[in-house]
Amino acid sequence: MKKVLLSPLDPVHDNAVKLIQRKLRDRDYATILMPPGTTVEEIVDTAIHEKPDAILISRTLGYQVAETLGRLVDLAEAAGIRETTRIGVGGMAITREVGAELGFDATFVGELKMTELLSFLENRKIEFLDGDDAAAENQGKPDITAGYTYQFKDSEIASLLDTIAEQALHWASTRTSDGIKRAQVRQQMLETDTEAEIAQLRNDYTKLSGTDIHSFYTQGTLPSGVRWLETKEVQNLPSLLETKPEKHKLRHTQAKPLFFVQYGTGCPVMDIVHIKASEAWGADGVLHFDPSWNAQQEGLMEGLLSHEHDGTILTYENLKLIREYIGENTLWDVRGHRGLNTAETQILGHAAGAGLFKINIPYGSTGGGTDPARLAVDGIYSLHLAAQYGIPFDIPGNDELSGVPPQKTFAGILIMMAIGLKLGARPIPKPLMCYSPYMAMHGDMDDNMIDMNTAKLAVWQTIVDTPVWPGEPIGFMTHSPERVQSATTTAAHAALATSLGMDAATIASTDEAYSKGPISLQARVDTLRSVRDLLRFTGSTHFQATPQAQVLMQELREGIVNTLKKIAQRGDFVQSIYHGDLGSPEDGIYPGRVGQGTVQNL
Amino acid sequence: MPKHAHPSQSAKDRIVDAIDIETFFYCKDETEAKHLANALMAEMNLPQGDIVFLEHNGLGARVRLRSYIHLPGDHYRWLEGSQRGQR
Repeated sequence: MKKVLLSPLDPVHDNAVKLIQRKLRDRDYATILMPPGTTVEEIVDTAIHEKPDAILISRTLGYQVAETLGRLVDLAEAAGIRETTRIGVGGMAITREVGAELGFDATFVGELKMTELLSFLENRKIEFLDGDDAAAENQGKPDITAGYTYQFKDSEIASLLDTIAEQALHWASTRTSDGIKRAQVRQQMLETDTEAEIAQLRNDYTKLSGTDIHSFYTQGTLPSGVRWLETKEVQNLPSLLETKPEKHKLRHTQAKPLFFVQYGTGCPVMDIVHIKASEAWGADGVLHFDPSWNAQQEGLMEGLLSHEHDGTILTYENLKLIREYIGENTLWDVRGHRGLNTAETQILGHAAGAGLFKINIPYGSTGGGTDPARLAVDGIYSLHLAAQYGIPFDIPGNDELSGVPPQKTFAGILIMMAIGLKLGARPIPKPLMCYSPYMAMHGDMDDNMIDMNTAKLAVWQTIVDTPVWPGEPIGFMTHSPERVQSATTTAAHAALATSLGMDAATIASTDEAYSKGPISLQARVDTLRSVRDLLRFTGSTHFQATPQAQVLMQELREGIVNTLKKIAQRGDFVQSIYHGDLGSPEDGIYPGRVGQGTVQNL
Repeated sequence: MPKHAHPSQSAKDRIVDAIDIETFFYCKDETEAKHLANALMAEMNLPQGDIVFLEHNGLGARVRLRSYIHLPGDHYRWLEGSQRGQR
């Protein structure tokens, strides 16, 4: 049995050594614990008599760190202890540089990681950057849909969805668009090696594109605020990112949810830096956001392009560069649920290595601004691709932000699920945790924000066995530009989502409500830290659905059924969007107009 | 110093995107707080300054100020290791 002497070299702080003692005892180590205020001389004296295999010192106070620890090393050396006893040091005041400079055998920084400590005590090579967190990472990339059967539990809803989805698929089967044709050409370009063939295909692609994209390919003109990335900018990235971070875990005792953050600063290089920092601070997944104009014109550009404004331009080269730097186990979602390039986005995302697609026809063709018929044709084609690639697709319910009541938004999400399932795809509903205009008007959150959000999240498991991913981001419209407030409200929503067993959640930065500039990197860290601390606070405790939440859940279910009945009776999914069955001008949204009249009959 | 860093880089060059300053001004109202916020940014020679948050109550105001040192699409000095390229 190995013997370890533990001592704080600190007047008051001894939590770390007490915790280490408990964990070492569990592993059958013999331990001797010295109290706070122990002197250097007392530690050396005890070591001479007890002859431990190792001494672990912790130091929290920053005052006279080098002097105190240096004296310990010198005294231990003079007493001949170091021939048989190895000395490690850690704590808030310790850096790797200080530990190495003073001559300690090992230095432990940051949070306690037992794998590092045990490696040291067992005289194995210490993988400082490969501790508990990396062990968790080695379990591989998580699959949000794993274990879910998608069996419907609510037969009335299942029957209505079957009717609606069949009709939508039949309608789309005789239609196409230039967006779909471009996607097919792009697919061919990605599969072709010869320059001559690619040039010919690019020519075909250009003919199918709108004015700006046509100019890009024929005259080399770039839209305003867009520039080519320079070779040296890309070449400098590897050295910038060579230091592997010590990845923090957001969850404490909880197994889920996975936490996603959105990026799209405009510049792929800046995105990569934001992604790497978000990963280091615990993000499990990232979502790619493109500029809104990218979705409103026919066609996409090519090459490594940087953009001065929000949203990073969708090109194969941009996506591939970003993917190269995304962590092996980080999930990557590419938004393509709206706009005239929805189908091609899935082609590019798949080719670049995306693990998730984001597609919602009702939202994209109202709040997203695209013509419902056009997005239905392109969106259903995209669901075919998601099924073909075996890539799950998530369905954001952000039309609620325009005032649509949750029952209508949820009905739209369920229709997307049903269409996807019929095609063999794996859908993930994303009900919005928010303080929406509808809630404000109807007073459903006047007392608290827990009951309604609980009802909105819990209702899904009464309908269908599905993963649920509240989005996007959670706490929408509860954020202010004040960073503490913003971090707190995100963390509160994260804690509720976690308590309710959600599978994933998208979180905002503390710049969520700041609209006059890009999201700053420190604002991302703010929220990741706050979520981590609140999940540490709540652990495995659970919120209970109150009677009021149960009532709201029942009301939601009835609202969903009534909405689906109306659509089924109309007998035309696309016309239902035009007529406001899934959100009307009275609710606050209108059918989109971008791409109107561009659907072609096959 | 990381390999990519140039010895002549200032600390400001190494700011990835924005610098935030949080403080509390002793001032009579929001207007004065805004004036002080803008004056502080100028005194600190911070470009493209903006007030992210300001709340006056009683004797003063809690403020958060921001200056973007590098905007997306700029040539980032922390990446280049040189002084060139600032927008």
